[in-house]
Amino acid sequence: MRKIFVYFISLLLIIDMQGLRAQDTVLFPLKIRAGFDLIGPGFYFNDRTNMNMEGFISYDRNEKLAYVLESGYSDYKYSQYNYDYNSRGAFARLGLDLNLLKPDKAGGKYWAGLGFRYGMSIFDSQTTAFKHENYWGETLSSIPAKKMFAHYIEVAPGVKTEVFKNFSMGWTIRLKMLLSGGGGKHLKPISVPGYGNGGRMTNAGISYFIVWNIPYRTKTVIIKPELPSEEDEEYEETDVSTGQQRIGF
Amino acid sequence: MRIKHKLFILFLFLATLPAVFSSCNPEACFEETNAFLKATFYSNETKEKKTPDSLSVTGIGIQDKLYNKQPGVQPCLLPLDASAGTCSFVIKINDVCDTISFIYTSYPHLISKECGYSFYHRLDTFFCKNDSFYIYKSSDNVTTANEENIRIFY
Repeated sequence: MRKIFVYFISLLLIIDMQGLRAQDTVLFPLKIRAGFDLIGPGFYFNDRTNMNMEGFISYDRNEKLAYVLESGYSDYKYSQYNYDYNSRGAFARLGLDLNLLKPDKAGGKYWAGLGFRYGMSIFDSQTTAFKHENYWGETLSSIPAKKMFAHYIEVAPGVKTEVFKNFSMGWTIRLKMLLSGGGGKHLKPISVPGYGNGGRMTNAGISYFIVWNIPYRTKTVIIKPELPSEEDEEYEETDVSTGQQRIGF
Repeated sequence: MRIKHKLFILFLFLATLPAVFSSCNPEACFEETNAFLKATFYSNETKEKKTPDSLSVTGIGIQDKLYNKQPGVQPCLLPLDASAGTCSFVIKINDVCDTISFIYTSYPHLISKECGYSFYHRLDTFFCKNDSFYIYKSSDNVTTANEENIRIFY
């Protein structure tokens, strides 16, 4: 009975030690980030008619997940042969960023992953003049400014990397779906701040952020070392003729 | 980073590039921008759909004819005057001629960013001056959609 007990304890220790051997730890700095989009001002310097400014703050919940609040302001003007339009207003987006990189690879410096956002915009939409022509001739009209409220959701894959200590840069692609654009069925806004063309149910956009990172805590993260993939295992073949093992690099 | 992760990020990047670039390109207008009142012709005897042998339509106050002794018109597309709440047409179906007046309200509608705005109309009522034709209203929404608004029995 005593021998059985000793064997059992030894077996437990071996199993436990194997578990310990399979684990490692890294120190992961959790950060608060503040970022500013460069694309909007870039377009504005090139074409002074449309201004879009936006920024964000995020807070790392853990090494994988961050809470994000984005906000901005847009002043949009558009003219073509049969109408002149402008919309002006603010927007905010709330959501999460998921880092798909492993903590040892990310190290608090690299981010490659997916963001999910819920966005809302409050803005004035106005068609200062439009022209309609048919058999009876030309009709000139306008649609006065109206306060509108829109909301939408986004999936935002992207990458960011630290270029200097506590400063990162990176881009985010935004795939957006409009839930409600305001303006009803007939007078959909041509531009929704933070979303884009209000006549479309889906839109895409891109942001290029410069980010200031403020580390607030260091977390010890347990990681499992990568197991050799099947390809590597196959490469570690045994030479049957000599009985020796060859290891490929 | 595992190969699966790398491939997933590459896939995300490649999959979203066309969407981003397509959203940056200006597009032309390919949609119908005029809302027509759509009139379908029916036989007064059989009550079946019947295409006139000849159709002439002219707006009152306009010199140009919309249709000039045109055969095989079905349906007939009648543009309404957005700057007024009423408009009239002289309609000649085969050899029978009469004036039809429409009373309606107009409101602006955004077709798309590329096409701009059009006027849609809500048809209130109509009159046939000499009662040469019997007219039945099927829908009062005059839009760019392919939807019948009135039936003209002749």
